[in-house]
Amino acid sequence: MMNKKAFEMQFNWIFVLVAGAAILLFFTVVVVKQRSVSETSTKTTVLKSIEAIITGASISTDTINIINIPSSDIEISCNRVSLGSLSRQYQSLILFAPSLVKGNRLITQTLAFSTPYRATNLLYITSPQLRYIIIGNTNLANEINKSLPSDLKKEFYQSVPQIKNLNNYKVRFIVFGDMVDFPKALEKMPDYDATAVRINGDNEKGIIEFYQKDGTSWLSKGSSFYIGKSSLIGVVYADTLDMYNCNMLNTFSRLNLVTKIYVEKTKKIMQSTASLPCKQSYGNALNHLSIVYEASSDFNKENIDKISDAAKSLADENKNAQLYSCPLIY
Amino acid sequence: MSKAQIQIGETIAVLFVFFILIVIGFIFYVKVIKSNIELEKEELSQLKAIGIAQRVMFLPEVQCSEDNIIIDNCIDVLKLDSAQNLMKENELYYYDLLEFGNVNVTQIYPNDAKWIIYSRKTSDFKNKFNTNVPISLYNPVTRKHSFGVLTIETLLK
Repeated sequence: MMNKKAFEMQFNWIFVLVAGAAILLFFTVVVVKQRSVSETSTKTTVLKSIEAIITGASISTDTINIINIPSSDIEISCNRVSLGSLSRQYQSLILFAPSLVKGNRLITQTLAFSTPYRATNLLYITSPQLRYIIIGNTNLANEINKSLPSDLKKEFYQSVPQIKNLNNYKVRFIVFGDMVDFPKALEKMPDYDATAVRINGDNEKGIIEFYQKDGTSWLSKGSSFYIGKSSLIGVVYADTLDMYNCNMLNTFSRLNLVTKIYVEKTKKIMQSTASLPCKQSYGNALNHLSIVYEASSDFNKENIDKISDAAKSLADENKNAQLYSCPLIY
Repeated sequence: MSKAQIQIGETIAVLFVFFILIVIGFIFYVKVIKSNIELEKEELSQLKAIGIAQRVMFLPEVQCSEDNIIIDNCIDVLKLDSAQNLMKENELYYYDLLEFGNVNVTQIYPNDAKWIIYSRKTSDFKNKFNTNVPISLYNPVTRKHSFGVLTIETLLK
């Protein structure tokens, strides 16, 4: 039989245990809550940084920036930037980027999309941890290599090289000419982390074919088109066909709006000018602008051809206007 | 009352005081954090307003250019009228860029003129920022510059 003293001692211990557990539980809850608040705060900071980058991109052309951010995994899809559970949806976002940007540094680049007047700036974002392998012996391959930021983890080869696995979370091949075989060293990578694009065209326009690793070979994921160097650079950064097409559709819708402004402006200049050569130049320009306006309603091969031709003619008309001392179209 | 009961009572009292102190500390911490968040919110709102103002100033829809070379702080008068209608027709598209607010261009020299290029209002706003940017208004036909102010009113929730 337990005596009274022993019972009191045992009760004391139970009491201390309960009180201790309550204190521990309280602090554990506080720490867990604080941790989740801190994580959300970090993610919000990164999202705000990306928003600031997007704003910055709209006001500065031909810039390259390296931005330090808290280490994060940024998921980028069509009109959407996500960080875990936090995300920001845009109605029309022009951001060429891989589907996942990892790490604590972002490389951003901006280029103007001009046809031949500036319609918008294209923004490109990537991570220095992502590996880009450019293969080609054409002038275009050389030019694209030079146009990419030097801080990018890029390799340029004139012929198919011996590829080693450098443990990058994603590898992107940019191939000019015939498609290369899938490198053996990268066979262990997850399928969606090794992608390629084959470029067939020149500085002005061309066809691009997207590939993704499928076991030990490449699997074609479809083809699209580019117009101008800035959209060709977009092909390097955007690693899926959907992402590229979404950005190009957004770029085209912006081009459509800006072209409408130039159509109206050219009509007004034409009405207020008396000079015959100027009127003729504006008349021709109006035809070309109307072609760009109609063709920018959808992103397809036919429209790209139309815009490319009209842009060249429009540039000529602008030069003519300059030659005859007429007010310039753009 | 036995000695053990007194001891337990003491411990409960100590624990009670301990938790009271923790609660007071916690309330103080939350108040400090709240005031910091308010300050941060204010700062973010101001940054957002500046960002929107910058976006407006660099819109190709209104910016001056000469052979595709952009002229800073300059608005093309011939583009303004079209931009007015275009932005009204595509209000939802421009809302993504300019959010709630008003964007006006006022010519103050040599003549007075005003263009309202964007307006999307909300009554449910907490902060209102006005940004005035002195600009040059260029008419490519007359090749004359006039002086004006670009007013960007940003309404933030």
